[in-house]
Amino acid sequence: MSSVDPREVQSLQMYLQEYSQQAEMVSRQLAIMEEGIREGNGAIESLRMIHESDGGIVLLPLGGGVNTRVRVENPDHYLVNIGADVVVSKTKEDSVSFLQERITEMNASYKNLSEALGRLQSQIRDISTRLDYLYKQSQEEQGRRQGVSTGVSQKIR
Amino acid sequence: MSEVISPKIQNQITMLQQLQQQMQTLLNQKNQYEIAAQETRRAIEELNETSDDAEVYHSIGTVMMQRPKSVVLENLTEKAENFEIRISSIEKQEKLVQEKFESLQAQVKAAMEGGSQAA
Repeated sequence: MSSVDPREVQSLQMYLQEYSQQAEMVSRQLAIMEEGIREGNGAIESLRMIHESDGGIVLLPLGGGVNTRVRVENPDHYLVNIGADVVVSKTKEDSVSFLQERITEMNASYKNLSEALGRLQSQIRDISTRLDYLYKQSQEEQGRRQGVSTGVSQKIR
Repeated sequence: MSEVISPKIQNQITMLQQLQQQMQTLLNQKNQYEIAAQETRRAIEELNETSDDAEVYHSIGTVMMQRPKSVVLENLTEKAENFEIRISSIEKQEKLVQEKFESLQAQVKAAMEGGSQAA
């Protein structure tokens, strides 16, 4: 009779799979958030530069590396997407503070998610260690059983 | 290392896994609606803080059309309410599936314990 409980192994494998999936999902969310923070900071920089250029020409990307020259008609007002498919006209200052608020929120969420990912990774490590131990124990028992049966067959011969 | 599990228990375990998947699907749906509701509520807050004469554009089909602020606010409020209704409906379904899961789990546990005691 083996001392390794197959139900424990099965349950640990299930937890390992579940936690790994969760960790992958959190990692994806972190990457999205990182991209959002980078995009927000880039937009703030662009707003400042357009304002400073005071009616200068900027290049508007059309995709595929193609740009067109554009003169910003009103560098004091911008159209900001506030979510839920709604765009609102805001002054440059309000647009910047809107973006900064969003960046602050994303930074806070990023920190929380990073902590959650750390906890998940620690749980994954613990489960993997336990599973490794159980596999080794099971293999050792199997080896011992084979050793005993070989010994018996040698005696019979 | 292996123990024989009766076909009845195996069937119950399969059902448990299906219920778990169902709960996961409901949870994902609820999360999506919660995110959408939160986004809508935030847009309402943002619009309320915007001056009444500000240009407001709302997505209609594939274009953004300029609309009066009051109309957009009304649309968003309706949208947020719809999301809340969907969320509470999913919560009711979640509760039912959870109850089924717990009852079946107790049955499987009792059967497994009974089986191991008999062995």
